[in-house]
Amino acid sequence: MFKYKIQIEQRERVSNRQEALITFYAIVAALTLTGIFIALNGVNPFIAFWQIVRTTIGSSYGLSETIVKSIPLIFTGLAVAVALNSKLWNIGAEGQLYFGALFATWFILKCPALPRTIQIPVLLLFGFLGGAFWAMIPAVLKLKFKMNEVISTLLLNYVAINIVDYFVFGSWKGKDNFPYTEQFSMNNRLWQLGFGRVHAGLIIALLLVVVIYFLMKYTKWGYKVKITGSSLKAAKYAGININKTMFTVFLLSGGIAGLAGVTEITGMQFKLHHAISSQYGYTGIIVAWLARSNPIIIVGFAFFISVLLIGAEMLQITMGLPAAVGTIMQSLILFSILGSELFKNYKIKIRKGE
Amino acid sequence: MAQDHPNLIQMKGITKSFYGTKANDNIDFDLKQGEIHALLGENGTGKTTLMNILTGVYFPELGKMHFKGKEISYKFPGEALKIGIGMVHQRFSLIGNLTVLENIILGLSSNKFHLNLTERKKLITEYAEKYNFSVDLDAIVDKLPIGVKQKVEILKMLVREVDVLIVDEPTTVLTKQETDNLIDILKKIASTGKGVIFISHKMKVVRRVADRITVLRKGKNVGTVQPEEVSSHELAKMMVGRIIESSFEKTSRDSQKKTLQVENLHVHSDKGLLAVDSLSFEVFKGEILGIAGVSGNGQTELAEALTGNRKVRDGKIWFKDRVITNHSAMERIDDGISYIPADRVNVGVAGQRSIWENLGLKIYRKAEYRKGFLLNNKKIKSYAEKIIKKYDILQPGINFPSLLLSGGNLQKLIIGREIEAESELYVSVYPTRGLDVGATDFVRNSIMGLRNSGKAIILISGDLDEIFSLSDRIAVMFEGDFVSVFENGKYDVAQIGLMMSGNPEEEILKN
Repeated sequence: MFKYKIQIEQRERVSNRQEALITFYAIVAALTLTGIFIALNGVNPFIAFWQIVRTTIGSSYGLSETIVKSIPLIFTGLAVAVALNSKLWNIGAEGQLYFGALFATWFILKCPALPRTIQIPVLLLFGFLGGAFWAMIPAVLKLKFKMNEVISTLLLNYVAINIVDYFVFGSWKGKDNFPYTEQFSMNNRLWQLGFGRVHAGLIIALLLVVVIYFLMKYTKWGYKVKITGSSLKAAKYAGININKTMFTVFLLSGGIAGLAGVTEITGMQFKLHHAISSQYGYTGIIVAWLARSNPIIIVGFAFFISVLLIGAEMLQITMGLPAAVGTIMQSLILFSILGSELFKNYKIKIRKGE
Repeated sequence: MAQDHPNLIQMKGITKSFYGTKANDNIDFDLKQGEIHALLGENGTGKTTLMNILTGVYFPELGKMHFKGKEISYKFPGEALKIGIGMVHQRFSLIGNLTVLENIILGLSSNKFHLNLTERKKLITEYAEKYNFSVDLDAIVDKLPIGVKQKVEILKMLVREVDVLIVDEPTTVLTKQETDNLIDILKKIASTGKGVIFISHKMKVVRRVADRITVLRKGKNVGTVQPEEVSSHELAKMMVGRIIESSFEKTSRDSQKKTLQVENLHVHSDKGLLAVDSLSFEVFKGEILGIAGVSGNGQTELAEALTGNRKVRDGKIWFKDRVITNHSAMERIDDGISYIPADRVNVGVAGQRSIWENLGLKIYRKAEYRKGFLLNNKKIKSYAEKIIKKYDILQPGINFPSLLLSGGNLQKLIIGREIEAESELYVSVYPTRGLDVGATDFVRNSIMGLRNSGKAIILISGDLDEIFSLSDRIAVMFEGDFVSVFENGKYDVAQIGLMMSGNPEEEILKN
């Protein structure tokens, strides 16, 4: 009947090199698909891609903006990755980010005038606690009542944003009567690094990457988390207190997402309002997944994703393409990578039929 | 017998290599209607690979296959089942949190949108009755003993009306009675004109069940024989190419020091039913207490309760004169209790984690494996390398996930790790299940070695030969309690078999 037939065969295992290659091909496939979409909009995709590169890493303004955008993505990517290490899905980094910002803002409003070197660490602490607090709810629900964390963390995002709204539309509203707080005073702002709008949040994020890397690889806690993530039964067998481990994972994950919130509002937005995050919590899931939860690779993918996002904004300005191009690219990349899992588990062969 | 029956399956010159080694080397194999054809061989001789080729999971590099006279060419693995070749794998493919019924109908094609469970249930019950199965269709699969899960897998295939049923190492998880039951079922299936391929490394069972036996050794077909033509001795020689005599050096028990004492123990099963019921016993230093019994009589729950993996509802446990009833699993590890679990793949190791991390599972908490606050991974790795060398574990590299290890090497990893942990009490559950002759020998020698060095051992096993050859004392467990505990040698296999089905000691002595 057919001249060729496709056969699917199970693979024994894949090497790291094969795995990296498959991911690379998946990204190429995604870019090709995006290219087609761009072409359908009447723009030469090669020029568009070149524009993305030129306007992001090709100019110092673009580069600084890209870095600024990757800061919250590093935090949320880390937050999701920490949870993924013990096979917990934290879809709630978005809400935890808002709660981090909420707690920090509360402190700023109550006590705005400590010296900056004291004020900033306290704000970071409050941000961490806020995120951790918001993650504690799904943690308790899961560990006490076996509620699936995917649902609870996701739904709590909406609750968190609404709580922030409650304050910024209400008692925290600033003098000019818009739904945001007063601008934070200087000692409530992170240090600028003198490169565009890049702020000290970058340094905090990178330090955290190193801390998490060591925590996972070189501590008893990390060991327990990884064993728990691989098999609950094996963890129990090895005497690991699964509930305690998962609970601490939740808190840490939420706390890290909370830091994304503080660094956003104290680093570049300088006030709390409804839209402090442009979906960083959700994009963090993509970053963590692409990086296979490896903290160091997360930095790379956070940067890569923000290139796409900033690049797409620029395309909108310079070439009249919809900004949604960036989101489409992002989704297609995730989609292709998820799809490429098939090639990790199976060999596809095309053979000549009879 | 089915000699003159038409061929269902014909495989010719099948060759398949993995990473340069030939798993199957020019193998011929055929199956006739109405026969049970056994594939006999040690672990890693290519039995499962050959069947994976037959069912389309792998493609052969060379060779042809015919099913009912037509050449087979698969496009994807699911096709085999569609044309009527079904395989029950060693690792079951059941979904734990669904019921038996749901598992069986999963993937069954139907034209109707509405899922008529009552109708399906009736249909499946008919199949079950036809082949003398007794399975509760509404039970949740996770809560069933392994023997029953296997029946569910077989039933799943029968409902799909397969012509060829392949069972991979089906008896490794079963007790003697369950094995007898399985053999009856398989014979019944064959008598309806289906063909059965029975993969096993157990000679005794194969001799009982098979019409023909094909022996594989190192990926080659060594020969196809009929069980009555060859002696066990000859068959063993075909299998291993050499003869293994297992006998153990057993030093005399010198100590009467109690290592473990259990009093009035009550433990619940996952279902919340009483699995261990007012059980009292003790284990002495330097002895092996063998616990025989049909699986599902509370053995697993007992082991879990002793090692802190399951809550004790009532009763007391003393370990070296200290009450440890409420100690957690971690505390019991520190007390000196080691556990060699029945489910080595899911419980004994964290499969996706590396081999060295799994070998370090018992020592990573110790101060000597840390540098201040941080773990000394280098030292843990060298500790892992040491165990690998000492226990001769064949592995692809210590950074690879441990799920890549074969059954025998996985068990070596677990046993090596536990021996090096230098515990006082070892609770080992079905420790040689599914292992080949060499690995079984290793495990039994290790257990004996532990005993001779003065450790206390609880050996839960479904293999009466194993119980007999290793134990100092034997306990027979039935419905959560010991029917009797006695010195090894007091009763023979038949008598113990009777006790395993609940007959008290007095009754046996009467006969």
